[in-house]
Amino acid sequence: MSLLRYESQVRPPLVQGNKDYHQVTEDICRPVEAKPSKLWWIGFLISVAFLGFGIFSVTMEVMYGTGQWNLNKTIGWGWDITNFVWWVGIGHAGTLISAILLLFRQGWRTGVNRAAEAMTIFAVMCAGQFPIWHMGRVWDAFFVLPYANTRGPLWVNFNSPLLWDVFAISTYFTVSLLFWYSGLLPDLATLRDRAKLKWRKFFYGVASFGWTGSTKHWQRHEALSLVLAGLSTPLVLSVHTIVSFDFATSVVPGWHTTIFPPYFVAGAIFSGFAMVQTLLVVTRKVLGLEEYITLEHIDVMNKVIVLTGSIVGIAYLTELFIAWYSHVDYEWFAFSQNRVNLNSPYGWSYYIMMGCNVLSPQIFWFRKMRRNLLLTFFMSILVNIGMWFERFVIIVTSVYRDYLPSSWSTYYTPTIWEVGFYLGTFGLFFTCYFLFSKFFPVIAVAEIKHILKRSGENYKAKMDGVENQSFDDFSHDHGHDHGA
Amino acid sequence: MSQKKYWQGFGDVNDPETNKKQVQDEFREELPFADLDDKIVDAATPRRDFLKYLGFSTAAATLAASCKVPVRKAIPYANKPENIIPGEAKYYATTYVQDGDVIPVLAKVRDGRPIKIEGNDLCSFTKGGTTARAQASVLDLYDTHRITNPKQKKGDKFEEVPTYEQFDQLVGSALSGASGSSVVLLTGTVNSPSTKQIISEFLAKYPGSRHVVADAVSYSGMLLANEASGFGRKLPSYNFGAAKVIVSLGADFLGTWISPVENARGYSTGRKIDEKNPQMSKHYQFEGYLSTTGASADERFTHRPSETGAVALALLAALDGSVAAPAIADAKLKAGIAKVAADLKANNGASLVVCGSNDVNVQVIVNAINNAIGAHGRTIDWSKPVNYRQGIDKDLADLINDMDTGKVSALFIYGANPAYNHPMAAKFKSALAKVKTSVSFSEKMDETTSLCHFIAPSHHYLESWGDAEPKAGYISFLQPTIFPLFKTRPFQTSLLKWSGNNTDYETYFKNYWTGKLGSDEAFEKALQEGVVEPGSAAITIAVTPTASDSAAIQRPAGPQVPTSTGSSFNSGGVSGAASAINGAKKISGDEVVLYEKIGVGSGVGSSNPWLQELPDAVTRASWDNYALISMAKAAELKIKLDNDYEYYPAKPVITLTVGSSTVDLPVLVLPGMNANTIAVAVGYGRNPELGRTAAGVGQNVYPFAAFNGTTIDYCNAVSVKDAGRKAKIAQSQIHNSYEGRVEVVRETTLATFKKDPNMISEWREELKEEYAKNTGDYKVEGTLYPDHIQPGIKWGMNIDMNACYGCGACVVACHLENNVPVVGKSEVLRYHDMHWLRIDRYFVSDEKNPDDLKAVVFQPMLCQHCDNAPCENVCPVAATNHSTEGINQMAYNRCIGTRYCANNCPFKVRRFNWADYMGADSFPNNQDQQLVGKLDPVVHQMNDELSRMVLNPDVTVRSRGVMEKCSFCVQRTQAGKLAAKKAGRPLIDGEVKTACQQACSADAITFGNVHDKNSMVNKIRNENPQRSFLVLEQLHVLPNITYLAKVRNTDEVIEGKGHHKPEAEHSAVGTQTEHH
Repeated sequence: MSLLRYESQVRPPLVQGNKDYHQVTEDICRPVEAKPSKLWWIGFLISVAFLGFGIFSVTMEVMYGTGQWNLNKTIGWGWDITNFVWWVGIGHAGTLISAILLLFRQGWRTGVNRAAEAMTIFAVMCAGQFPIWHMGRVWDAFFVLPYANTRGPLWVNFNSPLLWDVFAISTYFTVSLLFWYSGLLPDLATLRDRAKLKWRKFFYGVASFGWTGSTKHWQRHEALSLVLAGLSTPLVLSVHTIVSFDFATSVVPGWHTTIFPPYFVAGAIFSGFAMVQTLLVVTRKVLGLEEYITLEHIDVMNKVIVLTGSIVGIAYLTELFIAWYSHVDYEWFAFSQNRVNLNSPYGWSYYIMMGCNVLSPQIFWFRKMRRNLLLTFFMSILVNIGMWFERFVIIVTSVYRDYLPSSWSTYYTPTIWEVGFYLGTFGLFFTCYFLFSKFFPVIAVAEIKHILKRSGENYKAKMDGVENQSFDDFSHDHGHDHGA
Repeated sequence: MSQKKYWQGFGDVNDPETNKKQVQDEFREELPFADLDDKIVDAATPRRDFLKYLGFSTAAATLAASCKVPVRKAIPYANKPENIIPGEAKYYATTYVQDGDVIPVLAKVRDGRPIKIEGNDLCSFTKGGTTARAQASVLDLYDTHRITNPKQKKGDKFEEVPTYEQFDQLVGSALSGASGSSVVLLTGTVNSPSTKQIISEFLAKYPGSRHVVADAVSYSGMLLANEASGFGRKLPSYNFGAAKVIVSLGADFLGTWISPVENARGYSTGRKIDEKNPQMSKHYQFEGYLSTTGASADERFTHRPSETGAVALALLAALDGSVAAPAIADAKLKAGIAKVAADLKANNGASLVVCGSNDVNVQVIVNAINNAIGAHGRTIDWSKPVNYRQGIDKDLADLINDMDTGKVSALFIYGANPAYNHPMAAKFKSALAKVKTSVSFSEKMDETTSLCHFIAPSHHYLESWGDAEPKAGYISFLQPTIFPLFKTRPFQTSLLKWSGNNTDYETYFKNYWTGKLGSDEAFEKALQEGVVEPGSAAITIAVTPTASDSAAIQRPAGPQVPTSTGSSFNSGGVSGAASAINGAKKISGDEVVLYEKIGVGSGVGSSNPWLQELPDAVTRASWDNYALISMAKAAELKIKLDNDYEYYPAKPVITLTVGSSTVDLPVLVLPGMNANTIAVAVGYGRNPELGRTAAGVGQNVYPFAAFNGTTIDYCNAVSVKDAGRKAKIAQSQIHNSYEGRVEVVRETTLATFKKDPNMISEWREELKEEYAKNTGDYKVEGTLYPDHIQPGIKWGMNIDMNACYGCGACVVACHLENNVPVVGKSEVLRYHDMHWLRIDRYFVSDEKNPDDLKAVVFQPMLCQHCDNAPCENVCPVAATNHSTEGINQMAYNRCIGTRYCANNCPFKVRRFNWADYMGADSFPNNQDQQLVGKLDPVVHQMNDELSRMVLNPDVTVRSRGVMEKCSFCVQRTQAGKLAAKKAGRPLIDGEVKTACQQACSADAITFGNVHDKNSMVNKIRNENPQRSFLVLEQLHVLPNITYLAKVRNTDEVIEGKGHHKPEAEHSAVGTQTEHH
């Protein structure tokens, strides 16, 4: 009878612990329905404090002008745009996981996609702060929107990469938000249905848009998911491509590089996955979701990290080679003197970037290392430090000594308000994440049920019964001549 | 017939009267407004009304709040004065007179306020040139720290004297006891004929009284030497343009020496090159430190400042052997002297030697040298002596002694400030306390004025009538351009009053000149034109002194008048001078030499924010003085010239001790310095009462000078000690080498240029072949965008780097023309300076021995108005765009401040308003930041209602968060076009001048319509194809400013300095960055 059961031994189960559907719901909804822990409160309050300091820092900048930052006539962008690109990069993993992996039918994505998408949205929210508040006259920021106005022929400048950014980021944010939220609907309905308190029922009732779980709903939900996945997929590639155009289309040596679009996208996925790791390693522990976000997930994502890290490394070496090979003196100077030269004022930042982004991820060629949680956490932080420095290297070490030696700049260090703004976005990010982890299921309950091996396990159990049955019993049970 | 009545309601039928009344009222029922007055909460107002009010007031508040710019109302003329059209500028000819300097200028007056100084083209020797100080002087008029009324000292404090009548009585009673011999008038150089006459009348009233002239920085060595050489006690006119060989022994003749405008005007004519026949004058400089003039020299030789005499002697010995040559230890210097001597001999009659020394003996030798090379009468014009400096050091020293011994009972001080700038200032101060009555006429509370008993503040020159005679026979007139702002009175009126003459100066002046010029018409014409010169038809008289002028003055105050004697050299004093020089004490250790900066000068500019903010031509530092030292000295002091030194503004501080005075100063290390020389600028460390600008800026080093019994020595032995700390110096350029980037700076030698004149043009052709193969036009082939046809005008500029010597007059002119903010030292330190136009300075030095400076290149850098501007396409809101006339323009209103344009500008000429420097913002109290970016008091001073009067109403004042940059003075191009349009004619070339072009005394800048085939801009471009280059042309940004390469007149042939750099040079560039 063993011919009746075929069991693949290659793939371990995506969800461990032999859960049934109800248990899945219970496990994932528990943190939402329980009172927040002390740890949650501490984390949340720290985040809010950071957010508050960030708001104060920005207030100071808006009140007294951009001179509150240490930018100068040569270095027009510093921490502001570095942080912007860094956060946008982080915002790439979520959509990649939810959209591209959905299209590629990667079942493991369901364990992490909800949190990753949330992270994406929060990261893009943080990223968006920088181009807005870095403006000298932020109260006129709406000038970048091509809205109908009475200013005659005055219109936005469609040649400007900054305008492309406006469209790219806002589109990306909108689509990501829709995608995330539409995925949330069934789970919100679950929470609504489980709610015992009036306000919870009301809150989740409103939030779930009247989801009933009818087949029609599910059908539309699936269709919408596919459509949004289809929309998001090119966005994953386009957003950072466009962000890279901010630099690639300029004339600044060190910015004016055709390799930027693919290199930026790879870097974005790299840093995004690192951030997902940072968050999930903690989340799974704190919320007790180790059986859903398993070592397998960590392993797979570490593989992505070593892959994209290596792509980024090749990109670094390629642009270095091209700078030399092109015989453009100014570009070669930007690379050989501003970056590679360790004795130059910012030489150290290039080596931090190289060390964190190219060398350190190579440790993930080893399976044992990929599955080491502590190392993964440490590496994920390291990668994000490295990726921050990548943007810093690109932005600051290019402009601080460009064409005219007369304009080479003095040393640039951030002021307290620049640092405060950056810390404030961490506050924003984690405040949102803490609220998210408290009020929303951090794992897609409905989706993860698709990949439960539950049906297989049931089948196996049934088969065990069959195998243990005598032929007579079997034929009795399954025979057609019950009559007589 | 029935009467029909159409009615609407019962009220209409039953109570038509009331109804009618109600219909007439707009609101049929009383609105319950009144109820709200005192008891909003309990009001009978229905809830809906409350909501209405709430809605209305919210909407109104929103509307009101969104109107950002506060409205300031101006009151129009009730009766329009004749000849005044609001919004149209008037120009009045007047004269910039300060500290003995005289520059004929036009004051631009808008709505009753003088706002801009322009050179007066009618003056034959300045030809419209100005200096940075003349440009900035208009701000002194609106200085918030001017003395606003007559004052009398009571105790330690000055008290206001209500009227001048009372003041005259007070001074009169104080004077009544004074006997004649004890009345002394102490002034700076006075070169006004009418004032001289008033002074002599005043002195005549007090028999035995005297007039002492004291200059802040003395030229009495020259005056006395010229007297000894038989030329009379006067300074000649120098004709730098006629000299083929110019040798300067430490004279900063382009920066501060005697008459920089005239010198530069002549000098630049000899430096401009005709490409077909490349020739230029040769300029040798011998000096101890790197001066502005030395920076333009073709060949420089450094020596100890105390060796100037020896160098002069050696030169004279080499020329005619009339004296024995002293021993010169430095082989390079010795060879240099021999070379210069040979060159001078070869150009006999067409060469000139000038010397900045204040030593009589040295100047006598220099006169002998000039005699030996036939300069007298050719490049030195003794028939037109200049009157800029007349002070004799001994006079003041004697006066101080007299004061100290109580021989002076009354002292009148005008334009002199010995309490600050005399080496014996301390003695002067204590001596002044012994003078019974002291009166100052200073406009500002300077160091001397604050010690006087009375202050009768004088007018600013823009409020004054007056005259000046810069050169014998050349008169320049002053006329007021504004009613006096404060209760001030001309110095001359005070003197007239106190000499018993009740006419005021205005009347006196008018009578004086009507008499001299012959008629009212001639006087009016002279005022209108501003200048009267010997050759012009307006004047046939010679301005002769009145009899009393020289009679009453014990010591003739200066070479007011050309005398018929003294045009030939008298060699009598030469041997004595030679032995005096040989016998002079040699300094073995380090020496300190004092110099003047172009901006602040002797200290007169130190309370002027524009001058303080003007970066020094050589050091590019503003808001400070510092000790300039050589790299060798830096090594000795263990100062590492590494990245940290270059990138951080904090520089090591050293302690300098000369005699009993000690000063701590941060160092700046410069190439091209003598190893044992430390140079420090005077004019800093001023009295805090002088204002928020001058207070706390730099250190006073006048005590380092010393009076040697005859003249004041400006160099002295010094001991140097590391003070063990650092202080910040605000430089607006930190990197000094152009790193071999020939696309940025093109400079070569005359020999190289003669050998390979087409180096630049060939490179440009190659670029064309590469990027515009088919048409030769980048605009067609170099970009994806279609070529825009540009009919009409297209503005363009040429800058001749051979003519520019970095004086900075253009920088200040740009400041005041375009309302460019002053940001103060704290912001310059943060690299936030706002100059639209800057003068980049690059050092070219020997790689092996960086102290050996080969050349300095000045490159005025401003918006290049690229036709393919990288800033334009990156602005998300199209705030910066291209005009049809080729101007890259900014719409400030549209700018949201992303700074992308500044990042993408290869020339880094865009300037961002990091803070609300100009008070143009609607945010209240946004200049009082404390933690980060605290603004210096000067920014607040510039925002004072009074200081703001200097703003040009034609140019928007930018708020913070807005990018700004050079606009090619678009307000001027518009005005020029409008004038042409109204006259119904095309624009004439030269009609529109940018502010920088106007200010330049070397005519380095040309501006005009490139589409006009005959315009000067085109002419120069066509005539100079071999030197023309566009900065970073390979980038394809198509600049509209053409530079003419700098050519140094040396025989060195530079090999392979073309654009094709060998690959190995990559690393060479790298090593160079490690130096600065």
